[in-house]
Amino acid sequence: MPLLPDDILRRLTDRFGDRILPRKSPGSGQAFALVAREHVRPILAHLRDDPELAFDLLADVTIIDHLQLELPEMEGHRFAVIYILRSLRQNHAFEVRARVPEDDPIVPSVHDLWKSALWGEREAHDMYGVEFEGNPDMRRLLMPEDYPGFPLRKDYPLRGRGERDAFPQYRPPGVPTSPVNVTAGPEEARETAR
Amino acid sequence: MGIERIFGDSVITTSVQAVVNWARKNALWPMPFGTACCAIEMMATLSGRYDMSRFGAEVIRFSPRQSDLMIVSGRVSIKMMPVLLKIWEQMPEPKWCISMGACASSGGVFDTYTLVQGVDQFLPVHVYIPGCPPRPESLLDALLKIREIVDEPLATAGVSRGVSSEAATPEPVKGAT
Repeated sequence: MPLLPDDILRRLTDRFGDRILPRKSPGSGQAFALVAREHVRPILAHLRDDPELAFDLLADVTIIDHLQLELPEMEGHRFAVIYILRSLRQNHAFEVRARVPEDDPIVPSVHDLWKSALWGEREAHDMYGVEFEGNPDMRRLLMPEDYPGFPLRKDYPLRGRGERDAFPQYRPPGVPTSPVNVTAGPEEARETAR
Repeated sequence: MGIERIFGDSVITTSVQAVVNWARKNALWPMPFGTACCAIEMMATLSGRYDMSRFGAEVIRFSPRQSDLMIVSGRVSIKMMPVLLKIWEQMPEPKWCISMGACASSGGVFDTYTLVQGVDQFLPVHVYIPGCPPRPESLLDALLKIREIVDEPLATAGVSRGVSSEAATPEPVKGAT
């Protein structure tokens, strides 16, 4: 029997109580569960193992940078790690978000629950710099291995910090390069968000 | 070719050079570096409707060691750039390069952290093609311009070696349409 996201959210709050913050997406109005990062693993394991929920597919792991989109429930947490779940057996979908602070960007990995988390977490780490504790392969996925910085963070300049012109790694020896300014960035983006 | 040592800059060597250039310009073997939608237009140019073989350039070689015309068709990211450079350096001299489309020539709409803003920072580009993506007619026009460059008397003497520097970069022929 397919369940609506509101029904799944009600089941979760019945079981986990105030560890679940019921929320609705401001855009689509779809219900999702906002949780603290230390509760992510038991909640996701329940979603996978409960026979009526039976979320057997982790479609993607991604992140929202709340630098400029400040919500009261995100107070003190810059990143929201998003787990997009599907159930092929029950034919329904759900979304779980975990809050992560900026100064300690670590979440427990869920790669032992769904193997697809290996890839999703690796890409999320590549783009946002959030560490997934326990993931055995946190190498960069899309960007060059020695790329400085995490380009999808909202305070990262769109045109980069000179990486596309500098190429210190690709110029042959003897050809001068312009240095990469690893601290340059639109600081005003951070200030206008406050 | 070595015969210059025997005959000097006489009518024999210049005539031989003309014959060699004639052969080269009528049998260009392109190396396709298709990374984006420009490659689709390049395939259309090669197919029967536009038929690049009318100009002797239909033998697409996927081995750089057998080709003498690099067609960079598509955007090149900073991770792809070393691959392009390696392929370019594997191509035997003499060799020529077409930068096809806005992305290869200038980065195009992708004015972002990860995209090379023009492959001419690294390769000596002989002909740029504007367009996003260019029509097959534009690519054929660029091919005709490359043929003119190949036919220049000293075309084979001092072209393009490896990574471009100010001295080694030949004067690019701008604007193929």
